[in-house]
Amino acid sequence: MASVTLSDLRKEYGDLTAVDGLDLDVDDGELLCLLGPSGCGKSTTLRMLGGLETPTDGDVHIDGEPVTDQPPYERNTSMVFQSWALFPHKSVLENVAFGLKMDGVGSDEREERAREMLEVVEMSEFAESDPEDLSGGQKQRVALARSLAIEPDVLLLDEPLSNLDKRLREQMQLELRNIHDAVETTFVHVTHDQNEAFTLADSIAIMNNGQIEQIGAPREVYDDPVSLFIEEFLGDTNLVDATVASVTDDGVVADTAFDAEIEVPTGDAAVAEDDALTLSFRPEELDVARASDADGGATVESEPTTALTGDITDVLYRGSSVRFYVDIAGESLFFEQSVGADTEFSVGDTVEVSWHPSDLLAFTGDGERVGRGGE
Amino acid sequence: MATESMFAWLGRRIKSQDTGSVMLVAPLAAFELLFFVVPFLILVRMSLNESAQAGPYESGLTLDAYRSVLDSGLYHDLVFFSFKLGVIATTIAVLLALFYSYAAYRATGFRKSLLLFSIILPLLTTLVVKTYAWRPLLAPNGVLNDVLMGIGLTSSPIQFAPGMFGTVVGQVYIVFPYAVLAIYSVLSTMDWDTVEAARDLGASRPRSFLEVVVPEALPGIAVATVVSFAWSVGAYAAPSQLGSGQQTTFAMEIENLMLTAFDWPAGAAFSLLMLGGMLVVSLAIMRLFTGSIGGVQDV
Repeated sequence: MASVTLSDLRKEYGDLTAVDGLDLDVDDGELLCLLGPSGCGKSTTLRMLGGLETPTDGDVHIDGEPVTDQPPYERNTSMVFQSWALFPHKSVLENVAFGLKMDGVGSDEREERAREMLEVVEMSEFAESDPEDLSGGQKQRVALARSLAIEPDVLLLDEPLSNLDKRLREQMQLELRNIHDAVETTFVHVTHDQNEAFTLADSIAIMNNGQIEQIGAPREVYDDPVSLFIEEFLGDTNLVDATVASVTDDGVVADTAFDAEIEVPTGDAAVAEDDALTLSFRPEELDVARASDADGGATVESEPTTALTGDITDVLYRGSSVRFYVDIAGESLFFEQSVGADTEFSVGDTVEVSWHPSDLLAFTGDGERVGRGGE
Repeated sequence: MATESMFAWLGRRIKSQDTGSVMLVAPLAAFELLFFVVPFLILVRMSLNESAQAGPYESGLTLDAYRSVLDSGLYHDLVFFSFKLGVIATTIAVLLALFYSYAAYRATGFRKSLLLFSIILPLLTTLVVKTYAWRPLLAPNGVLNDVLMGIGLTSSPIQFAPGMFGTVVGQVYIVFPYAVLAIYSVLSTMDWDTVEAARDLGASRPRSFLEVVVPEALPGIAVATVVSFAWSVGAYAAPSQLGSGQQTTFAMEIENLMLTAFDWPAGAAFSLLMLGGMLVVSLAIMRLFTGSIGGVQDV
């Protein structure tokens, strides 16, 4: 168990900057997910933490000790690789006992401890197997046991679940959570899958272009994204272009691509009239009803509104849910419903889409959230 | 890169014990039958003839030729020297090839191409020319001695060649590319993550090399050892061009029996005895290596 501090960490490969002045604190015993699109530098960051890459600049501290220049075999971190990287010429038991052997633990003791570890990951009956004969999920468990066997201060997981099929992946996510609770070790888990990060993490650090864009508890990050990048990355949402029509006491009125003015209570907003905006209409925040059911109907231009009318253009079945696309003044907006919901819409239906203004998020032209924290 | 994929292909071949491609081997088998099995049978027949005073042999059916070879103290010494040269040249060549292959595996871009191409290049020259090229380098008035005396490491020339040193250098140089081919081709299929995993789990660089790289390369090392050893025990070009009279291998003596002494039955018998001996030794080496591959109980 140990805390981790990365300060002003930088890694360059020739002209390419993979990690660009990254700062990160991980608390003792925390399960932190480094989340980001491929190429954002998250794996490089993890490898620098494990000593497998040397930073171009910056420092790594584990449990307060500087380890920046320590080779991997001197650091008490352990990595679970995406490819699992089991030793093909050693049995499962030997794989798990390997780290203890390197630490000079006696033959009997390391076998005993390796067997205990295999029990934790429910792989006891495969102790004598050849790792090449195991399935992906089994290899993943062995790799986890091998890393945990040395009782690392920090366990590093480099997308170890990404090679598993969906069902197994979800099961392993829960098991990983349970194992984390049981061993009370600091985990740093790299993933590009936001669902995995939400399921696993105590806190999520979202990376973009070699830097951490936002860090916080899953709920907090989702509810209060700092930038358009985060908003787009964390889930499917409707992004609509707009310009600032006027700045009011508690926010802005935006002139949108829907040909309608919409009020966004952003609080204190550092924007001026005619600034470009992007509004996010999250599908789960939209209320939809048939236009004929709704009273009123037509929107009045030049007056802020909280409802718009349009026609359904596409219906996509996505298994447990259905996604509907609505055309509003030439702009497309989608919302979702569970299969078997009360209201079924079909192509051509005219619907009214409404929302609470406080559920809308606005971002400036360069992707910054408007008025974050100023409620 | 073409050379790399060729190595990878060879590596997979050597690793897999696939027997499904028998058909592909058929033309080669026919060739071998005609140019190896048939001459081999002629050789067997020849070894049973009698030695003659005039002419290469006299027809007969006797084991005299074998008896004369086995009884000869001189031949015992030649065989002992041949095996000694084989062990020395093989050990040096395989060790060098293992490190060279690892360096080539780790290298990227231009450096990797250079390392691999350097291995292919000597194979484009004939054995005799390659071996002969060492003479001006190693001779008493050669380049190496000039350099050593120039920097004052020695005051009088050292006899590198002709002699044992030259013979070993020449023989290692001959087998080295083949040893690299065998080891690199297997190593090229290794997952680098496994080496990183070993280091991550506390293995130092040399330790991770021993624990992960060597076991992975073992099938290639076995092939390299057998090829280097068989070739070096039967060495001819290197000892005859870079050795003195003391570096005489059994292959040189067989040439002498066949072409100078005109004792064909003795030459044939000596050849067959050595062939049998080498076959047993090669099988033993393979057995040794494959045995240790399966040793997974070393917790």
